[in-house]
Amino acid sequence: MNQTNKDRRRLIGLAGAGLAAGATGFRSLPAFAADEPLKLWAAGIAKVGGKDWSAMEEQAGISIAYNAKSARADEAMQKMVVGDGNKLYDAMTDNGGGMEDALASQNAIVELDVSRIPNWKNVLPTYLDGGAAANTIRYEGKVVAIPYISNADSLAYNHTVIGEDLNSWEALFDSQFKGRAAMQNDYGPTLTNTAIYLKSSGKQDIENPSDMTPAEVKGVCQFLIEHKKKGQFRTFWDGFQNGVDLLASEEVLVSSCWEPIQIVAGKKSAQDIRYGTMQEGHQTWNNVFMLTKGGMERGQEEAFYKLMNLYLDPWFGSRTLNGLGFTPQMTGVNEYIDANPKDFDDSAKATMNTRLANKQARIAVAGNSWQNVFPTHIRDYQDWWARVQSA
Amino acid sequence: MSIRSGITTSLTRWVFILPIAFMMLFFALPMILTAVWSVFERTMFWMEPGFTLFSYENFFTSARLLNFLASMYHSSIAVLICLVLGFPIAVFVRRRIPQAAQHRVVLLFILPFMVSETIRVFALRPVLQRNGLVNGALMKLGVITEPLTAILYTPLGVIIGEVLSFLPFIVFSGFLAMEAVPRYIFEICEDLGANTFRVYKDIILPLAAPGIFAGSVFIFVNGIGVALLPNILGGPGAVNAGLIATQAISALDFPLAMAVSAIMTATLFLLLYIGHRLFDLTHILDPVNK
Repeated sequence: MNQTNKDRRRLIGLAGAGLAAGATGFRSLPAFAADEPLKLWAAGIAKVGGKDWSAMEEQAGISIAYNAKSARADEAMQKMVVGDGNKLYDAMTDNGGGMEDALASQNAIVELDVSRIPNWKNVLPTYLDGGAAANTIRYEGKVVAIPYISNADSLAYNHTVIGEDLNSWEALFDSQFKGRAAMQNDYGPTLTNTAIYLKSSGKQDIENPSDMTPAEVKGVCQFLIEHKKKGQFRTFWDGFQNGVDLLASEEVLVSSCWEPIQIVAGKKSAQDIRYGTMQEGHQTWNNVFMLTKGGMERGQEEAFYKLMNLYLDPWFGSRTLNGLGFTPQMTGVNEYIDANPKDFDDSAKATMNTRLANKQARIAVAGNSWQNVFPTHIRDYQDWWARVQSA
Repeated sequence: MSIRSGITTSLTRWVFILPIAFMMLFFALPMILTAVWSVFERTMFWMEPGFTLFSYENFFTSARLLNFLASMYHSSIAVLICLVLGFPIAVFVRRRIPQAAQHRVVLLFILPFMVSETIRVFALRPVLQRNGLVNGALMKLGVITEPLTAILYTPLGVIIGEVLSFLPFIVFSGFLAMEAVPRYIFEICEDLGANTFRVYKDIILPLAAPGIFAGSVFIFVNGIGVALLPNILGGPGAVNAGLIATQAISALDFPLAMAVSAIMTATLFLLLYIGHRLFDLTHILDPVNK
């Protein structure tokens, strides 16, 4: 549907709803607003099925007004807590494991009624069993977010050049990759991944790699500083394209990164760039959808729940797995893929099956640690990360 | 006073008041707010009124100070390289290009600014990287046998980026400064048999000093402030003041970000004060060809 048609439809809807509101009084106001498109503030990775949102709109049966959102926690908090985010957006995405708690504690998002999402029955059991994953969608025991993708970040490596498989974070600190290793320029994942390695290899005593004490943060950073001074790291990458370029251009042979970076770098360079399973464990994370308080007040719950129903449908899960390599958050994906051979040819099916098997292997590693957006001693993380950078 | 002259007087007054009001609203006020917010108390997600020097203590007693000093050092090198490369271009254009064509030639240096800075800096990577154009060309020519790795993801990479990004500043300011040097002076120097070095050292540089200094300040401040350069071209953890502020904002430490901005502004004012004492910067706008 083109924009003119959309606008016309919206205008007709508004006029009709306005008349209805006039006839029935102000109590009809939420219904009036519900004819508006659902205003999404979401990361680009939330979309599948084409270059725009039309396939998602068609599948969900709603109209969407999309607004691009970065992954920066500060931007989300500013917009939603002290800015005008609740006026602008009906629904938003962010990382589970901190953001949903922060936003709910500030009354920026609202509790959800999962009984209004028929596909909630598909959600991965891990979200129901009260563990770490379950906490990432709840605030004070109530569901405030719907997961739509997750992953266990790992090590990408250039198998063409290295000639063997890697299964340990040790590679990042191994002198044979001196000057050809990279980590993310973000204290969150980089310190956590390093802590997982140091803990599992018995090199440092660390209780919780996702929420370290000041002494543990210091130990991890001193370890990184020592290797940085030896010239181990080519750079700390920033942003998706930077991560891709480093691997595709052979600037680095090993890099701790997101899975889509490995997928795109492999396609771009036509080299065999693989995403390993680390024996020490991985940082696991998810991205979630939340209904803003403003969205609820504007009567957008129905549209929101329809969209969430789509995000928990294997239609979405299979496509995010195929396109971006993210882990679907629902059961039934394999069955869906088998039932839709026209959408997934044998090659795509094989790739997806391999990815799913690898993901299951990564998720099964005992040393995994869930992402924590706001660790208790965040100041120590920041200060020590500044020291790593300046070393 | 007639009505017409009254209107003219009123309009004249507004012509002065409006720019002052504009500068107060969009320049002075944000700077004052930056300083005020830098002493506010940090809260979990924002800040609240109060008075604490914690952010400044945090900056000066942590590695951020070392990062800041390192970025000043790298910027200083970039300024020197820009001077060596850019100022002779300005002098050449002023002295050797026919007057009617001079401004057109200088305008050529504006062309790179028509492209987004992000794209310009990003485009340097395929040029400088391991299997990039520079290494490819040098290896084909047999100058090197292994790719050079010191020109990207290193401080040198940041300096190269600063030079290529900011060189036009010194060309513009150098050209403007040279417009303030009377042309007959060159003729007198030639008549007296002064060599090129002496003309530069004893005549051009002293006369063009305010303009050169202004261009240098532009480059220096951009070098320590533009976060993009260390982010895209720097090595592991390359940081400048702009990036420190960005990272502080990302970590929801707004008073620290404000403190870094205030320190940058103070550094700029200190530089301008020193420059004014040394070169009397009011001469930048002296009449042309006096």
